[in-house]
Amino acid sequence: MTKTRVAVDVGGTFTDICIMDEETGAIRIEKTASTPHDPMQAIMNGIEQGRIDLPDVSMFSHGTTVATNALITRRLPRAAMVCTEGFRDVVEIRRANKEDLWDTYKDVAKPYIPRRDRLTVRERVDATGAILQSLNEDDARRVAEVLKKREVKAVAVCFMNSYVNGANERRMREILAEVLPDVPVSVSSEVMPEIFEHERFSTTMANAVCAPVVVNYVSRLGEKLADAGYKRDLLLLHSGGGVMTPASVRDFSARLAGSGIAAGAIASRFIGNLCGFPNSIGFDMGGTSTDVSLAYAGEPRITKDWYIEYGYPIRFPSIEVLTIGAGGGSLAWQDEGGSLRNGPQSAGAHPGPACYKNGNKTATNTDANVVLGRLGTSLAGGKITLDPSLAREAVHDTVAAPFGMELHEAAEAIVSVANANMANAVRLLSISRGYDPRDFALVAFGGAGALHGAAVAKELSIPTVIVPPNPGVTSALGCLLVDVQHDFSDSFMADASSVAPEDMEGAFGRMEAQAVERLTHEGVAEADMALQRSVEMMYQGQWRALSVPAPAKVESVSALVDAFHAEHEREFNFRREDAPVSIFRVAVKAVGIVPKADLPKHQVSAHTPQTVGRREVWFEGRAHDAALYQRDDLKAGATFSGPAIVEQFDSTTVVPPGMAASVDAFMNILITTKG
Amino acid sequence: MNQTPETGKSLDPVTFEVLKNSFITTVDQMAEQMLRTCYSFVIYNRDFSNALHDAEGNSIAQGNYDIAVHVGTLHNTCKEVIRHFEGDMAPGDVYAINDPYAGGTHFSDVRLVRPIFDEDKLIGFSQSNGHWSDLGGSVPGSFDVTARDMFREGMRITPVRLFHKGRFCSDVANLIAAQTRDPASIIGDIHSQAQATHVAEREILRLVRKYGRDQVTRGMEEVQDYVERAVRKRIAELPDGTWETVDYIDRDPTGGEGMIPIRIKMTIKGDEITYDFTGSHPTIGSMYNSAPGATFSAVVAGTKTFFPDLPLNSGFYRMIKVTAPKNSVVSAEWPVAVTGFLMPFEKIMNAIFEMWSKIMPERAIACAFNLEYLLAGGRDARKPEKPIFMFYEWLPGGWGGRNGKDGADVTTACFGTGLMSQPNEGNERVNPTRTTEFQIKQDSAGPGKWRGGVGVQKTSLLLEAEGAVMSYICDRERAVVWGVEGGLPSMPHGLTLKRAGSDEPTWLGSVFSDHPVHTGDEFARPTAGGGGFGDPLERDPKKVMEDVIDDYVSVARAAVDYGVVIREIDRDLCAFEIDEAATEAKRAEIRAARTDWARSDPQEVSRRYKAGEIDALDAIRQYATILDWETGEVLPKTTEQFRESYEKRTIAHWS
Repeated sequence: MTKTRVAVDVGGTFTDICIMDEETGAIRIEKTASTPHDPMQAIMNGIEQGRIDLPDVSMFSHGTTVATNALITRRLPRAAMVCTEGFRDVVEIRRANKEDLWDTYKDVAKPYIPRRDRLTVRERVDATGAILQSLNEDDARRVAEVLKKREVKAVAVCFMNSYVNGANERRMREILAEVLPDVPVSVSSEVMPEIFEHERFSTTMANAVCAPVVVNYVSRLGEKLADAGYKRDLLLLHSGGGVMTPASVRDFSARLAGSGIAAGAIASRFIGNLCGFPNSIGFDMGGTSTDVSLAYAGEPRITKDWYIEYGYPIRFPSIEVLTIGAGGGSLAWQDEGGSLRNGPQSAGAHPGPACYKNGNKTATNTDANVVLGRLGTSLAGGKITLDPSLAREAVHDTVAAPFGMELHEAAEAIVSVANANMANAVRLLSISRGYDPRDFALVAFGGAGALHGAAVAKELSIPTVIVPPNPGVTSALGCLLVDVQHDFSDSFMADASSVAPEDMEGAFGRMEAQAVERLTHEGVAEADMALQRSVEMMYQGQWRALSVPAPAKVESVSALVDAFHAEHEREFNFRREDAPVSIFRVAVKAVGIVPKADLPKHQVSAHTPQTVGRREVWFEGRAHDAALYQRDDLKAGATFSGPAIVEQFDSTTVVPPGMAASVDAFMNILITTKG
Repeated sequence: MNQTPETGKSLDPVTFEVLKNSFITTVDQMAEQMLRTCYSFVIYNRDFSNALHDAEGNSIAQGNYDIAVHVGTLHNTCKEVIRHFEGDMAPGDVYAINDPYAGGTHFSDVRLVRPIFDEDKLIGFSQSNGHWSDLGGSVPGSFDVTARDMFREGMRITPVRLFHKGRFCSDVANLIAAQTRDPASIIGDIHSQAQATHVAEREILRLVRKYGRDQVTRGMEEVQDYVERAVRKRIAELPDGTWETVDYIDRDPTGGEGMIPIRIKMTIKGDEITYDFTGSHPTIGSMYNSAPGATFSAVVAGTKTFFPDLPLNSGFYRMIKVTAPKNSVVSAEWPVAVTGFLMPFEKIMNAIFEMWSKIMPERAIACAFNLEYLLAGGRDARKPEKPIFMFYEWLPGGWGGRNGKDGADVTTACFGTGLMSQPNEGNERVNPTRTTEFQIKQDSAGPGKWRGGVGVQKTSLLLEAEGAVMSYICDRERAVVWGVEGGLPSMPHGLTLKRAGSDEPTWLGSVFSDHPVHTGDEFARPTAGGGGFGDPLERDPKKVMEDVIDDYVSVARAAVDYGVVIREIDRDLCAFEIDEAATEAKRAEIRAARTDWARSDPQEVSRRYKAGEIDALDAIRQYATILDWETGEVLPKTTEQFRESYEKRTIAHWS
């Protein structure tokens, strides 16, 4: 019996299941309608629909939106926070800033745990870690009893300066455990042992409120899979781009808050690497938005500055994804200053673009693409038929008439504005971080990514566009290609010139011991463990640190300082050799390598593929006679040139005039943007 | 959405939209660069702005997160640089300026300006403005409230060259840095800001390569026309008319008792707005004066609040006219001290909020809390080498109640909504202080049908320190944050100090400078909540009870301010109940008496305050009386002015 690997990506509309034959590497995809009230149902439906034999599954990994949705909708169980006396409002005061500076009627949302459920105890640790006041145990028991009466389902323990000494927090947890043995407790010094109380408390708060939701979901799903014969651990994709087992979910539930969004970025990086582009930009364009991510030298770009709701940071390292409101359904409009705009408002899935015949009369990107002939009128293998006359009408009324443009000119204007907005998003993630887009490949996926990818790449002088075999379900592929991963960090504040390598070695050693322990707990064999060290540094007096990789044995701190100067110059265009450098934090990424099956490689033989027809397609102000291909007909080694359109079940690829395309051994289409 | 655009537009709509968005993206990239490389913690906490300018110095784009206070001043400093260096600029040059008398804000806001050349043609400028940690002068942080002229405030930088054809002019930079308490950081911030302006140069030249110089420079003009067109259109749709109001600064420390009026008359005529400050007080003997550039900025920031969705550039300024009497508190000239210009600034903003609230009731808002800024410095005796420490900090507070919505709780000051408050753990690491409390201040919100947002209180203990002094820059200790539409004021600002070993706190008030403090002293700073909106007796009692459950409002003040009688059932379970009958009776009682209370003899209020029968909140909210909060003496002129406001904003709206 051949073994299979299964990855499930639950999206808002569809649940995608990616099934890989371990021997051949062959991949098949099942798509089933999502069941938002209980996402598990769609998963079980998909398993049945895909005739997956769970006893034969060697790995089941899952990207879930359960935590994200719970935070967004605020359907959260009652949770409480225990704070140092005088500091119950840290998460409500936040950093006091606003997302929308000018709109006085738009507020930052309230914290996940309301003020009434934030209680205090007497205790205090100072900035050096000295205990000024031990936990007052009468206070602690009193608070625990109150929380028991209130029947809270989770507790966050958040004390001042606990990042240097978590003893009082841990004692508080012990007392809570005595009184509330079944309630999960998130302790700030363990969840996120970092300086700055709001960021640490906020992460801990998100972790606490997610815990009951996620633990419940994961254990129910785990049981169902086990009942059906799955014998291994369910693997859950987290925001950092790795997976964790249910054993870690209870303690780090908020790491799942970025689960869904990470999958696409992982897949994009994988495909880039596969095609020989360790530098790649992920361009995932869907119906309402576009997610942009970046991998450099084979590694995804990681950020710690992210959140589900503005004002409440979740400081777990996460794959950096920039989302902008530009998708197939984005609306074109003229503002009062007379400017042509595109998005962020969207026609959504319903009513959808005008050509969907559901009553929307405003032109969307999809309508413009239909008018230009870039998008055909029969999609999803004929399941969806678009009405081109409604698309023309919408483009005419929304843009052509008010701006005095010809119809095709107007449609092209709509698409150009959308492309320029998306290009600006890519710029923010690349150029403004010191990366030159010319050194990257653009991986275009999502339902609309391949329609716009070539034009966006050209705008940015990106030489190559990669369109994976199933652009619409690429994220599910991302869930399949993961390792177990945990991130550890510790404060290490010191002047670089006065640090002894042994001290730093000691700090790394402590984290690595924890890392090995956790990986072992998750069943990772020692041979499959990989530990990656990094150090965060800054020029003394600066406020933000830069991370540089550190060797497996630290023998010289000055080598790290040199690496910091170089990284500072790469990212910010200047260095200060003469200025003292501070060390801020040390971190370890612990990876439990999951052996990967290889994707099937096809024999490449150069040939010109058969067209299935020709169509009039508009580019740069005039109609072109474009070749039409079926993706399924394109074999490895096929080469063709634009203008061309490639249609497949879940996506359409546009190759503009002057560009050349070829199909590689992994069945990706590679488009060269320079003629 | 369907009107025809004006004819004669020379860029096609796509190029225009692309350039417009690219300009804004460019400025956001500058911001990102600064945030990641800055040294001044004030900059790090987002007191900075960036801008792009056309070749004449007009602003063509500002960033999405740039703070309000710099709006409407960046074009002035760019133009001043042009006046100085015209004909003598080269690619790779960068100039510095911080001159409030040339349209800047105050010395702390140092701007770096870079000319952008396409080959040898000057096509525009980029500018990066950051609040440096120190610019010398008599006190750490360069905010001396007792300064009457600029000579003790700090260093005035008229336009000066910091980079010449790409070469760093270290002699000039070092001279500037040497005048400050923090020279290493100053040099670091010069590099950080210069690189931010370089980011913009790179992006603009990229656009030039792609679209051509003519299109880009045309785009620079058209984005201004675009904003102008959009604003004019909205203003033209509003009825013509005139609105007037007055707000106050607490006092002139060199003058007699009585608040300092800032009067504004706003006239909308066609598609233009005029703000006339006639009747405003002459300059005062402290640094709480504003020069014309900063006053214009306040006007723009206040107005822009009612057009939140429009991008900001010089096009926005074209339909706004400001007139002010010479040498008034809002039109100070060299060498009058203006470092505290934010005090008049916030009064102007709130006064403009009040006038526009009448025009756009759907965006109406009562008065916000006043900025407070603590600056302490001395030697940190925790460490053997006793290094200099500088502890500056501002706190968030409550914003005004709104039409159909309570005010925003704990939000940064209205002059700069991008500004962030600082982490206590950072404070404690860097400075010899320990925070003993940082939490929401109960009963700080101005009561109303829609209450103001809540303020906070921070209390800190000074640890081992030597030669430490403290300055406090605040206001509205007397010109207390006001309510509108029948809403009540919130509470007075002011710091109290409890000396080591003493149990008796001393009220130091909202403005003092260079006050010696010692190890073990504890200082408490509350910030006011926002003013109330609408009659508090009309607030839904259930909302009052929710506020009691969350400890935003005490049971006692629920009765006094809202006439809602709440009984505790079980606090452990958050169980409270409203006594409906008692509430009805209490509300009737308050309704019958409250107008008389607010007109009662201030001396009697003073007597009861001194006797401990009433507190400051009672004196302000129920008796409309302003006292010296330390002695309890009546401030007669101030009370008269305060009552004028209370009559107009509060009593007149009670049914």
